[in-house]
Amino acid sequence: MKKTLAALLMVLPLGAHHSFQAEYDGSKTITVKGVVKRVAWVNPHAYVYVDVASEDGKVVTWAFESLSPNALQIRGWSRNSLKEGDHVTVDAYLAKDGKPLADGSLHANSKLFTLEDGRKVFAGSSADDGGYK
Amino acid sequence: MSRPFVLRFVSVAFVLAGFTAAWSQQPAVQEGDAPKAASKSPYDQPPPAGPAPKMPDGKPDLSGVWNPGLSFANMGQVPLQPWADALYKERRANLSKDDPEGHCLPAGVPRISPFPQKIVQTPSLIVLLDEGNVHSYRQFFLDGRGHPKDLEPTWMGDSIAKWDGDTLVVDTVGFNDKTWLNGQGLPHSEELHVIERYRRPDLGHLEVEVTMEDAKAFTQPHTFKRTYTFMPNWEIHEYVCNEFNVDAEHLVGK
Repeated sequence: MKKTLAALLMVLPLGAHHSFQAEYDGSKTITVKGVVKRVAWVNPHAYVYVDVASEDGKVVTWAFESLSPNALQIRGWSRNSLKEGDHVTVDAYLAKDGKPLADGSLHANSKLFTLEDGRKVFAGSSADDGGYK
Repeated sequence: MSRPFVLRFVSVAFVLAGFTAAWSQQPAVQEGDAPKAASKSPYDQPPPAGPAPKMPDGKPDLSGVWNPGLSFANMGQVPLQPWADALYKERRANLSKDDPEGHCLPAGVPRISPFPQKIVQTPSLIVLLDEGNVHSYRQFFLDGRGHPKDLEPTWMGDSIAKWDGDTLVVDTVGFNDKTWLNGQGLPHSEELHVIERYRRPDLGHLEVEVTMEDAKAFTQPHTFKRTYTFMPNWEIHEYVCNEFNVDAEHLVGK
């Protein structure tokens, strides 16, 4: 398996346009469960907004930076791979500055979205990109 | 940032930590099992086999869409002059937070993005179109002209080309010194001179040997190689870097 993955990674550059390490903390990983609010199909990175309810019932919106639309497309995913209302589990890295985006969304860099039926989409993060380490 | 927000963030972080701990009891998501691409991805298709095609004039036909793969990042160790080495180390220490690419500025030459490139070829001009970075283009003039005198510095330089047997030799000068040679921050000066040797050994592959000379920034010329794979069933796509570049204000470095 390890060998297969290594072979796959050889031909799958992820294409960050910025340094991952300057923006996110590779050691601060989070896993959150929530509901997809919106997929922003924008450059240089698509953003997936996910509403996450805390134990006290308060809902906060997370903005997950994903790959760029062209990088998602070449991997066979589209803006409809995640739809509004989808229940997802998101594995992500926290932003270093801890600051929200301008719209108030909490900010992280996603590495994987897992849907309720087990499908895994929008896999990959600029964290894996050899060119910026 | 307002203080209440900080508190809110911290409390959310604690809640999340709790979530994460609770979920760790469940079968964890195995990252290694995650697909790096959906099954219909062109990345799943190996490049076609066969002999390299020729143009009607008998020259190798380099045209098509090319995937640099991870070779986009492999430049090797470049021998730097002390000032350039100090600047390089400073950029490394800052974790590349000031990379021009992070601000959607052109990559320059020979830096490329990991996204596909398209070569459009005529007997007197070859055009290289970049999907990535800022949709830049390069023109390789094959009509025998030389570099213009008194070149003003530019991001992508001025390129002239000639055929050396089956190898296209591209000579590029006239750069500004604003670009980084790679994502780690390798510096160069306006004296940068890049010689690229493009060769298509077979239908599915394009090999490019790149030599960089820069007497001001390097202690000696440096050569490295890239191999692209042919993507006959794929087109270059749109990538408008500065559409929603919210990263710029969050690039804090260390």
